[in-house]
Amino acid sequence: MKKFDYYQPESLKEAYGLMEKLNGEARFIAGGTDVIVRIKQGALHPDALISLRRISALKGLGNEDGLSMGSMTLFRDIERDPAIARDYPALGEAASVLANPQVRNVATIGGNLCNAAPSADAAPPLMVLEATLTIEGPGGQREVSIEDFFRGPGETCLEHTEVVTRITIPKKRKGTGMAFLKIGRVAQDIAIANAAALIVVENGVCRKCRLSAGAVAPVPLRLKRIEGIVEGRKIEPDLLDRVAEMVQEDVSPITDVRSTAQYRKTVSGILVKRAIKEALDRAG
Amino acid sequence: MKKLIRFTLNGHEVSAEVESHRMLLEVLRNTFHLTGTKEGCGQGECGACTVLVDGLSVDSCLYPAFEVEGKSVTTIEGLVEEGSRLHPIQEAFVEHGGIQCGFCTPGMIMSTKALLDENPHPTDDEIKRGISGNLCRCTGYVQIVESIRKAAEKY
Ligand SMILES: Cc1cc2nc3c(=O)[nH]c(=O)nc-3n(C[C@H](O)[C@H](O)[C@H](O)COP(=O)(O)OP(=O)(O)OC[C@H]3O[C@@H](n4cnc5c(N)ncnc54)[C@H](O)[C@@H]3O)c2cc1C
Ligand code: FES
Ligand code: FES
Repeated sequence: MKKFDYYQPESLKEAYGLMEKLNGEARFIAGGTDVIVRIKQGALHPDALISLRRISALKGLGNEDGLSMGSMTLFRDIERDPAIARDYPALGEAASVLANPQVRNVATIGGNLCNAAPSADAAPPLMVLEATLTIEGPGGQREVSIEDFFRGPGETCLEHTEVVTRITIPKKRKGTGMAFLKIGRVAQDIAIANAAALIVVENGVCRKCRLSAGAVAPVPLRLKRIEGIVEGRKIEPDLLDRVAEMVQEDVSPITDVRSTAQYRKTVSGILVKRAIKEALDRAG
Repeated sequence: MKKLIRFTLNGHEVSAEVESHRMLLEVLRNTFHLTGTKEGCGQGECGACTVLVDGLSVDSCLYPAFEVEGKSVTTIEGLVEEGSRLHPIQEAFVEHGGIQCGFCTPGMIMSTKALLDENPHPTDDEIKRGISGNLCRCTGYVQIVESIRKAAEKY
């Protein structure tokens, strides 16, 4: 394996300082479950890694007014958080099927998003929950909607010196139901396809619909065209069949070691349809 | 880049001068000669390298050695009890055929320890989830699940 230096700053300021000094040849490391694997595979060759593990500003999980998570929050902790299980089950479910216990014990939600795999399991739930990412760098702070965060496989809107510091989710509205579903070759593998749905129902009519599908396009997708069709209607079998067909039109998957493009297309439509049904059962 | 790191290893305070690109697995095997922890894939897929850091199971092949500073690490060698007696989990694996070639076993047992420490009476499903990060090419898992079930009875 290529040699690299390893820095462990205690503050964000120190981290930015190091990143600027190392002039583009360094990378941040959170849990390392993506970055170390890619270095070992020879896909990345950084001269240095800058660890985010000692920076306390990136930690902590709170749910006073909505949910606020430091980017270094572990999937282990998301999986076990009772408030997330109760109010944001789509996120809890995604955390509990991501990889395996050893990975979840070190992998972070920030790392999952910043790695920007189209299959990132945290992305669909955070898309339907309309999460906001707080991004900070030497130039200051900005907020970005998760919808605008991903730019392509492995690419985000982050500058090289910038860090995602927090992820916030607005408070859950009454009558909301949500679900996350994933298909892998075996349980707890990287997704062949994944999907999340969030539904708000009033008097049997869908007032709000948020849909997302992953591993079926260069970035995790928000399915806005389809959301518009569902909103204002009663969710019935005919509508769900139409949704599944529309999903197939809106995705553009690839064939790789895990699956063919055609299978991904079909299964993605079915996952979205089932996620809506499950969300509907939980609404109210 | 090199640094002196200090941590607790199987209950003893230890220190070692370590290069910055080393993973915990290399330090355990090459510096401390604790070769019970195995390297299978080196990429987080197989769990042969599983150890506990502050009580939580991690893949030591992906764990940067510098991060272990100040922490407590338990390896398979640390499970042996007073008078060199095997740990109840190890005994259950021996008695119930949870071991064939033995390569996956140290990692499998460390994952079992992490599971039972948190949930002493797991269901079969919880056992399977608990060892989902550990591959075994020999046993077909049935005897491993059986061994863990038996170990839980004595936990
Ligand atoms: C065996 C195995 C199974 C896996 N299974 C799954 C799975 O089922 N689903 C899934 O989605 N993923 C899976 N993964 C991928 C990986 O575990 C996750 O993406 C994980 O969440 C990455 O988080 P991390 O903290 O380890 O990130 P790291 O590897 O530390 O970082 C990933 C990238 O993000 C950057 N980064 C990290 N944090 C920040 C931050 N706060 N600000 C700016 N940049 C940052 C790093 O520079 C790096 O480029 C698997 C990995 C392995 C090894
Ligand atoms: S050697 Fe670490 S997971 Fe395979
Ligand atoms: S006993 Fe041989 S790999 Fe598990």
